[in-house]
This record gives sequence, structure tokens and C-alpha cells, in this order.
Amino acid sequence: MSELDDRLTRCFASVFPALVPDQIHRASVESVPNWDSLAAVTLIAVLEEEFNTPIDLMEMPELTSYHAVRDYLQKQIK
Amino acid sequence: MNLIEALEISRKPVAQDAKLLRIFLACGFTPLHLQNFLTAHLRQLCPEHRIEIKTGLFGDLAGSLERLDANGLDGLAVALEWSDLDSRLGIREMGGWKVSDVNEVVSSVDLQLSRLQRALTTAARSVTAVLSLPAIPLPPLFYTPPNINSAEKTKLLLSLAKFAADLSEEIGIRIVDSQALDAISPPSARFDIKSEILSGFPYKLPHASTLAQSMASLLQARSPKKGLITDLDDTLWSGILGEVGIEGINWSLEHHSHIHGLYQQFLASLASAGVLVGVASKNDAALVQQAFDRKDLLLKKDKVFPFEVHWHRKSDSVQRILKSWNIGPEAVIFIDDSPMEAAEVKAAFPTMECLVFKKDDYQSVWDLLVNLRASFGKTAISKEDAIRLESLRSAAPLLDALGQDGNASDEFLKRADAFVSFDFTKRPKDSRAFELVNKTNQFNLNGKRFSESEWTKFLAEPASFLVTVTYQDKYGPLGKIAVLLGKVHEKKLHVAAWVMSCRAFSRRIEHHSLKRLFEKFDADEAVFDFRLTERNGPTQDFFLELAGEPPQPGLKISRTLFLEKAPPLFHRVEET
Repeated sequence: MSELDDRLTRCFASVFPALVPDQIHRASVESVPNWDSLAAVTLIAVLEEEFNTPIDLMEMPELTSYHAVRDYLQKQIK
Repeated sequence: MNLIEALEISRKPVAQDAKLLRIFLACGFTPLHLQNFLTAHLRQLCPEHRIEIKTGLFGDLAGSLERLDANGLDGLAVALEWSDLDSRLGIREMGGWKVSDVNEVVSSVDLQLSRLQRALTTAARSVTAVLSLPAIPLPPLFYTPPNINSAEKTKLLLSLAKFAADLSEEIGIRIVDSQALDAISPPSARFDIKSEILSGFPYKLPHASTLAQSMASLLQARSPKKGLITDLDDTLWSGILGEVGIEGINWSLEHHSHIHGLYQQFLASLASAGVLVGVASKNDAALVQQAFDRKDLLLKKDKVFPFEVHWHRKSDSVQRILKSWNIGPEAVIFIDDSPMEAAEVKAAFPTMECLVFKKDDYQSVWDLLVNLRASFGKTAISKEDAIRLESLRSAAPLLDALGQDGNASDEFLKRADAFVSFDFTKRPKDSRAFELVNKTNQFNLNGKRFSESEWTKFLAEPASFLVTVTYQDKYGPLGKIAVLLGKVHEKKLHVAAWVMSCRAFSRRIEHHSLKRLFEKFDADEAVFDFRLTERNGPTQDFFLELAGEPPQPGLKISRTLFLEKAPPLFHRVEET
């Protein structure tokens, strides 16, 4: 697992503590019942802090899965 | 603490039977990260507790407080912002910033503050309330440029200051000090406009964490330290008394030793607030007494007790001072200009805070004073604070009269002209009784601590009783020195808490308290919720003397046994 995955997994685990790493890597709005708007805002704040990069809230509707978030961050922190 | 850490701390597992700490977080904005940080900071302060935070309705702080049922809560945290006083002072509603609007805002804020004050005062009767005043800047609604004082803005600040001043006088309300918050969270780095507009949460994360930390520390305030032991030469004053003589020591601007005068003034302030101040100095005792006769000394001789002035080790002096004060080293701070002396005392008393007075480093002395205030500060001054020093000084003859076993003779007690007063009134707002019951004194039945809501709930039960004991003898008053809490069922007493100030040891007050309890309720037996703690040796000794064996949980003492074993009691008694 890459360093990005490690850090991202920690972020997801802090917001969705019931998920184990394997579930986190497959997580999406559909598969995680607790992924509501409040969790989404918290996740964005955690990601901004962890990766020290602002995330445009207009992107939020697109960031609906672990993979989508990973792809987005990869582009942002390049 | 950053947000990810806060979430991780908040979600650390707790024991199944962990005590629940129920907090209501009242704010007009989305509580979001403030709630996460508050949970985390409370978990850090109370790692054994399960934290439950409930919140009110968005945009209706006053309504949330008015509807609040504070019974069953352990704390109330209120984060007030300008928009809670009038939505036009926020940015999410477009009520208007015209000149005429601003004048109207000023009067509507007064009304809303009155409403909040009523709701907070009511809630604080049942639960400790912590309030933070508006932390984010007012929006640019005034017609004046931001760098010019506006009359309307000043009126708003004045109204807020009056609101805070009135609430500060309420026993159950603690207000986060704005200057202290400014020092750790710069005002210009608090407001997150994007987050406020998009999610209704106005704070940048570092400020949310800092504010939550401040609120948590006020909700779970630790007990203040009780005593300060100070060195003299180059600490209380500049100069070595033995070398420069009484007139040679100084603490003034003209001698460039003003920092010592400041320290004296500070110690006098602590003493006036009931903090014990003692002296440990390697010096000539007669010279020191003469130095303390100087009229310009800001810390007066009668505010210091005891003086340990000789050439022996500082740790020996500290040991004797602790004995005179009858308190543990963890409740005391030692200050000396010599790092070696501070280290020597620290080695002898590892739990004592030992600090160095760096007379040539003004900033360090300033920081020292601020930190000392943090250690000794209290939310209110009680009658007992005012008489503590005098009662200790007057207890010196009693300590001298104690035998090897730590007990005073019958003859001495007979002549002490002692007077004990028992008060059986159940007053939930008796702050001294509540303070006593939560002390970890050596005479302590079980070390159990009560939250304010537990205390109020217990006293509301019809079968419960509360006894507060006040004592004085010919050496002076000790004030309210003991509290017993329990329930009575058909001639059987169940004592849930019993705490007595260590200043009151060796006077047989504990015996008289139990005797009075048996008499008052015509009880045949008392069952004690006893628990062995690291510090309650004197309580264990008391029960060992009565029962003839080391006490166990659920200890029972019959009235007959008590009367058979109790020593003679010479106090005059009054019940109020």
C-alpha cells in the first residue's frame, strides 16, 4: 500500500470507525450507511488537514467513494 | 490537536461500565467539529468516562437553552456568537446592514442578552455551565472604517461586558476568559467564512480545538493548589540579607529590583485569597524577623506561616511546613532562585512542583506569576479561605500538645473550649459542602467524587441527609470543616460520603459527628460505604479504633459499640 493509501485509510477510519481497512478501500456512499452529509463534511475537513490542501466543496458530489477521493487527491498533491 | 486525532481519541474504547459524562453543547451554528474536539478534550481529561454530547437546534441558541432539561446533565457548554444575539450580526442571513438597521441591532442585542441571561441562570442552578463569549469578529456592518471606533460597536461590546459581568457572579457559571483565549488562538485566525457559508460552521479547525480545550478544562476544573513555599534572598527580595543587612535588601524601581516587589505583591494577593504562604530560607532567623518588620515590604509578616529559617536542608524545612499545614506535597509549589535548592526539594518530594525564580529574566518571572495564578486560581473565595491561615497558626499549640499517637490529651481538649455546630439543612448550592465532599483529603470515607448533578439528585431524595460541621475553639475558628452525606432507613444510617478537612484532625470532631448522627436520627446502626484509598489512612485508623479490625467495604458500626469505644467528648454543641 502506498503512503497516500496509508494516510487516506487513516482519514476514512477516523470518520468511519466501524470499517476495517479492506472495507475502507471499497467504501462508497452506497456501501457505507453512515456516509451522510455530516460525515462528508467531516471527511473533507480531515482530508484538508491531513493533506494540507483545500478541497473545493463543489467537488463534494463527485467524491463519493474511497477511489474517487484517492484519484482526486492524487491530482491535487502532484 | 488536529481533527483526525480528535476523532481517534473520541472513538477510543471505554470500559462497558464506564461512567457516563453527559454534556449539552449549546450553539447557534452547526456544532460539527467543535463537538468532535470537545468530546476528544473531555476524553483526555476524563479517560475513564464515556462522553455523550447532545446539541440544540441550529440558529436557536436561546430557545435551546430555554428548553433545556438540565437535570441529568453533568455540564453545559455554551458557545455564543454575535449572530446568536441578532442574525444581522452574522453573514448567513440578509437582514440588512443599513445605518438605520445597525441602530436597531444594538437595542435588539440587549433584549436577546437578557433572554440568554435568564436561561443560563436557570440552567446553572442544576448544572455547571461554561460560556464562551463571541470569538469571531463582528462583520463590517458599521459605517465607520474598521480602524476607527464606532459608537454602535462600543455599545454592543458594553452590553456584552455587562452580560458577562452579571453571569460571572453566578456560582454555577464559568466564562472562558477572552484574553486567555486570545493568547492561544489569535482572533484574526478564527473565522472560516467558506465553512460558515457552506456548512454553517464558523471556526477554523485550530480555533475549534482551542475553544473546545478551554471549555473542557472549565467543565472539568482541577482543584487549585493550596500552598506556596518561597525562598527569601534574591527571590522575595534582591540581595543577600546576611551580607547587605536589613536596609540593604530591596525591591524597588530605583534599585532595579522591582521584579521582586511584583513577586511580593503577587504573594500578598495569593495569601488574601486563602493560599498558604510559607518561607524556607537558609538565613539568620532574627535578621529575617527584622526584615519582615520593614514597613515597605508588600508581603506582611502576619500573612506568612510558618517561617522555616535556619541553615539546615531546604527539604527539612519543607517537611516541617507541610506538617504545619497538614497537606500533601502535591498541593504545594516551592520557589527558590537556586536551581540546586529547587532540585534538592524536588528529589525529596517528587510530586511537588519546584520552580526557579530567575530574577534577571523578567519575562520568566512574568510567566511564573501567570502560571502560579493558573495553579492557585479559584472561582470563588469562601469564608474558610479567609480564616485558613489564622486557624493553622492557632492550631500550633494543639500540634505541640499531640502525643506520639497523634492524639491530644483529654486535659488539653477539655481546656480548648471547643464548640461544634451541626447543620442538617440540605442546601444543594452550598458550595463549601460540595467542595469538601469532592476533596481527596486523608479523612475521606471512600474518595468518591460527586458531579453537581449527582449531588443535587442525591439531596433531592427524601431519605437523604446532609450534615455540615463547623468548629471553633479558643484558638480560633476553623469554619465549615466536615460534611457527611447519606440516607436513613428505619433506624439504620447509610453513610455514602464523609470528608473532614485535615485542619480539623485530633479534636475528636469525627467522633462527635457520628454521635450526633446517631442521636439525630435515633439510629441503632450505621453502614459505611467505605473504600480503601491511597490517602485515607486517618479514616482507616478511626474505624480500626472503633471496630477493632481494619475496615472493609460495607462496614457496620452499631450505636452501642460506638458509645462503648468513643473517647470522652468535651465540645459544646449547637444544631442550626
